[in-house]
Amino acid sequence: MSIEKPSGILAPVDWQQRTWSRAEAKHLLWRAQFGASAQEIARVHADGPAKTLARLLAPQPESTAFTAADSLLHRAAMDTGSADDLKAWWLHRLFHSANPLTEKLTLFWHNHFATSIAKVRSTAAMSTQNGLCRREALGSFRRLLHGMTQDGAMLVWLDGNANRRRHANENFAREIMELFALGEGNYSEKDIKEAARAFTGWHVREDQYWFNRAQHDEGIKTVFGKTGALGGGEVVDLCLAQKACPRFLATKLLRAFVLPQPTEAMVAALAARLRAHDFAMAAVMGELLASELFHGIQTRGTIIKGPAELALGALRALDGQPNLRTVNAVMSLLGQDIFQPATVKGWEGGRMWITSASLLQRANFAAALTGTNQLGSIQSPDARARGADTAPAAIVAHYTDLLLARPPAQESRQRLESYFADATGDGADRIRGLLHLIMAMPEFQLM
Amino acid sequence: MKTNFTRMAPGTRRSFLGRMAATGVLALGALPPLFLARAAEQNKASRDGKILVLLQLAGGNDGLNTVIPHSHTEYQRLRPSLGVGKGAVLKLNDELGLHPQLTGLKSLHDEGLLSIIQGVGYPKPNRSHFRSMDIWHSARPDEESTRDGWMGRAMDAAAAKFAGRVPALALGTDRLPLALVAQRVTVPTVKSLKDYQLSEGKGNAKDLRRRRQLIGELAQAEAKGNSDLDFLHRTASTAIQTADKIAATTTAYKPAKPYPQTGLGQRLQTLAQLITADIGPQVFFVSLDGFDTHSDQAGAHAALLGELGGAVQAFFADLKAHGLSERVMLATFSEFGRRVKENGSLGTDHGAASQMFLVSAGIKSAIHGKHPDLHNLDEGDLKHHTDFRQVYATLLEQWLDWPSEPALLGKFAQLKLA
Repeated sequence: MSIEKPSGILAPVDWQQRTWSRAEAKHLLWRAQFGASAQEIARVHADGPAKTLARLLAPQPESTAFTAADSLLHRAAMDTGSADDLKAWWLHRLFHSANPLTEKLTLFWHNHFATSIAKVRSTAAMSTQNGLCRREALGSFRRLLHGMTQDGAMLVWLDGNANRRRHANENFAREIMELFALGEGNYSEKDIKEAARAFTGWHVREDQYWFNRAQHDEGIKTVFGKTGALGGGEVVDLCLAQKACPRFLATKLLRAFVLPQPTEAMVAALAARLRAHDFAMAAVMGELLASELFHGIQTRGTIIKGPAELALGALRALDGQPNLRTVNAVMSLLGQDIFQPATVKGWEGGRMWITSASLLQRANFAAALTGTNQLGSIQSPDARARGADTAPAAIVAHYTDLLLARPPAQESRQRLESYFADATGDGADRIRGLLHLIMAMPEFQLM
Repeated sequence: MKTNFTRMAPGTRRSFLGRMAATGVLALGALPPLFLARAAEQNKASRDGKILVLLQLAGGNDGLNTVIPHSHTEYQRLRPSLGVGKGAVLKLNDELGLHPQLTGLKSLHDEGLLSIIQGVGYPKPNRSHFRSMDIWHSARPDEESTRDGWMGRAMDAAAAKFAGRVPALALGTDRLPLALVAQRVTVPTVKSLKDYQLSEGKGNAKDLRRRRQLIGELAQAEAKGNSDLDFLHRTASTAIQTADKIAATTTAYKPAKPYPQTGLGQRLQTLAQLITADIGPQVFFVSLDGFDTHSDQAGAHAALLGELGGAVQAFFADLKAHGLSERVMLATFSEFGRRVKENGSLGTDHGAASQMFLVSAGIKSAIHGKHPDLHNLDEGDLKHHTDFRQVYATLLEQWLDWPSEPALLGKFAQLKLA
């Protein structure tokens, strides 16, 4: 069966008719991974959109160094059972993997299926769930949803064992519908009650799913108007078949990758593609990231960065190497403690990231990153200052272009230039001061 | 593991002018000297203005075991294990007594600072924590989700009074509580004073000063729109101004007496520090969590009430020593009370109506309304006779002197505070 090409706002940009500039390359990289260095932007600019997207969407081999560090960190997390070690392991992947879009979507799915180690209390179970998210990151949401309903960490998180024949516990069924597949208002209380019965006996033993036949209710249930001796798997398929399911997912994907307030037309268009591809994520993401909608100028700099995007993005943009522990601590302070979301709803994102306190902390992150080595190292930025053009205007233009999604207002640019012109110290000191200022700007919070 | 990248840099105490310069207001050069006079005038106004502290008891406080109708036989009958005996309560009168751990509130009662509003709730009570808390915060029981809270709307309506200062502040919360979410004014959320500072970064003193000034200038909102960028500018400006003011207070304050070493005790001490420094806000929000006592309630509830009473007592002793106990009112609320009949796990389930405490030397101590009838329950829960929005209207109009109708989107009969 061939699938029709997307049209309308999701039609692919015709790059014969439009210039693929550094701005487009930067936009794509900031959305598809955690920030981008000047070299990466240059490379993607040179490669062009088709080659870049193909690389982002297809599995890339990891380097030997990466694989060695990855397995070492993972083994440590398994041996110690420490949540901090597990977080350090993932942070290393998020930052260093040769498959950045896969990692970004893994974080997206972790947030979608928000599960916390605070309750699960097993680095092994959390790692298994994380592996499922990664395997299906650019795989199939259908398989992912099915997998999650039989995931050990998830079953611990949502009290699967409390769901017994004659004592159905609605928690699991409710979250599947409300948070994982459909969103509020797209099911009835009766659907939940009946679905809960279908999941009775879906228990967890030693952090593994097991079907406790004695506790499974084999009676007749009716979910979304379909009647039969339904089991959990059938309920998952019924959820996926609901009209609301691709719409729910489309809204979340648009918010995470395109713009904070998608219109009805955008949601409908992306939902149609999710349906057309039967939730095959590589195909859907490929179309989305190539679309007129994604590359439209109105989407630039519209998403408020989450803590991972902020911290890892800054480090990546400045050719840094994160200190895995302290950067995790910063992300947690800023509200995103990976493997440990505060509630089953995950991180709501957007303006919910921002309070006056978190903005001060974001500015302090900029101060610490540019002024100390607590958070890792950034490449000494004086090379460029020694280069051809050291005029304040050129330096400021270079770094605002690297770090900000849109050009700053004229007065802001002038303020930055006047700082750089008057600052004392050597080239590196002056640039570090400038970077501190740029990253403390409200504009830097957007991507 | 905690990073120390938020440490305070030395030399952040500055004069008023210094601080104004640091926030970039002077440096822009766009403001006439009149502004300074007006700011001083406003600071004076804020000194005279009343201050309201909203204390949230999160989780659903068991009001029935807080202000106890000790003379009612029905109370002892429905609370066979959890009921507090007639002899153990701290008697307020022949009918009512406080939980034995509330010695702090009992002293405040004896000093004439404590008022109790009984039977507070709202029609068709919702028994979900999230939903009911949202209702108390939004004061719009019929709206599923609202963009702002009752105090946020009150501040928006009174926005003209706050030009140049922060009207409210949430302390110790991760998020801005819905009650304080506004459309026009921006309210800072301060998790802890220690973290609520701008660190200066690295460099020589001149460069650091310049950067500090520029961070303020770069944060300043140019546009008055509601885009995410405008929102970021507004929030950043508020954050920096507030951080400056807080930095200036940290050395001046000393508590009159030691506070209890409890979470609430420490938060109220911080509030006293902010209030004595007169940095502007007229409304403060703090929360005490853990009231969801479904099982083995007795010990946990006693500890929470002990924390509550001890902290509030210390707070008012401190305010009194600073001459502020008449200017400050503390009001408690919770999303609901608890089921009258105790459950099978020595706890209580989600209920409905409960009481609110008001504490201040600026009003006459009183017990408002009757204790809800224990024989006339709504699905096992106490019925309210006073809508919480009546209390809000009273606090806004009679205490803060702000109009209540824009906040509550309607007119509510007020209580007489006197």
